[in-house]
Amino acid sequence: MKIRPDLKTMKDPYSGHEYVVIPPIIPDVAIIHATKGDRFGGVTTFSMRNDLLLARAAKKTIAVIEELLEPDEVLPARNEVYIAPVHVDAVVLAPRGAHPTGCPGKYDVDGAHIKAYMAAAKDDKSFRQYLDTYIYGPKDHNDYLKKVGLGDYGK
Amino acid sequence: MENKATDPVVRMIVAISKILKNGEWVAAGTLSPIPVAGCILAKHTHAPDITSIFFGDPADRMGDGLFELFGLVQKGKIDVFFLSGAQIDQQGNINLICIGDYMKPKVRLPGGAASNMLYAMSRRTILFTTTHTRNLFVQKADFVNATAFDGAVKTPWRRGGLSHVVTPLGIMRFDTQINKIVLDSVFPGISVDTAVENTGFDLGIGKRTIPTIEPVREEELRILKEVVAKEMRPIYPLFTEKLWG
Repeated sequence: MKIRPDLKTMKDPYSGHEYVVIPPIIPDVAIIHATKGDRFGGVTTFSMRNDLLLARAAKKTIAVIEELLEPDEVLPARNEVYIAPVHVDAVVLAPRGAHPTGCPGKYDVDGAHIKAYMAAAKDDKSFRQYLDTYIYGPKDHNDYLKKVGLGDYGK
Repeated sequence: MENKATDPVVRMIVAISKILKNGEWVAAGTLSPIPVAGCILAKHTHAPDITSIFFGDPADRMGDGLFELFGLVQKGKIDVFFLSGAQIDQQGNINLICIGDYMKPKVRLPGGAASNMLYAMSRRTILFTTTHTRNLFVQKADFVNATAFDGAVKTPWRRGGLSHVVTPLGIMRFDTQINKIVLDSVFPGISVDTAVENTGFDLGIGKRTIPTIEPVREEELRILKEVVAKEMRPIYPLFTEKLWG
């Protein structure tokens, strides 16, 4: 309370204990990464993440998906959860879209790329170079994938 | 045979395994490879009936992320949880927030990540750290984000607190009579003086003779390499490779 004077306390009407009450976090936009999805917004994501909670809490949710399927085919696999279309406002098809981080069950973290990123992030000049090569340089997602050695996923 | 040649991390794994009791529900969050290895070792030695939940383990089919794990702790299902800190002080307070003054921190740390609730609502908590220095074990933490017991700060839903602290030098435990961390035992080849020199608070040794922990046994090394490493690999691939190839 010393460092967060904005927080308020209230008495729990049942136990009588005094509690600090924290207002809910309502994100304007949540961006989640999903393994599968359909054009209506139904998606499946890794269950260890809190994507379901995020999608339910945010005002708008964008789901980046690995694979576009028909609604009946969007079924949660082992260690996945289903998020219904009512929670998702937009779906973006981007295979390998979690790169350089991993997508559990699909592909691992690209350790070499993360190391290169960390080295580049050490000073402004090398970071600028990184951005030019990997972020501003590629003309689209497919071009990015080719640049990081993940081949051509086609359109 | 082992002694000084044994990796301190392996010693910590074995030490943690021995602190765990058969039948306990043991949970670990992310970035806890040493506790996870200790728990798996315990399951393959003296405590086969441990129920374990390792967050991030694909073998544990959790349905709703951390939300679900935290719910288990709040419900009182978890007997043992593991935490660490950038600072740990004599009263078992941990600091995962900042080094220095909060408003002008020298280092801003990642944050508490529910550790205050976990510290209070697990039945007991084992702290672990791979560095045992005066910078880490301080008299009083710069910022307290989770407490080991109900002192000045009351936690109405507290059901547990600090049990042990495991470091490369040995084991410390929480003395609930005085609400302070005291030295319990040291690893082979580590002197009590070394522990004292590297701790920023009084270890409450008094006239006690501090025992030396028995060396890691060949059998334990074998189980670690043959069984534990296999179960660890899907959860902590880099850690497993570093330790066991």
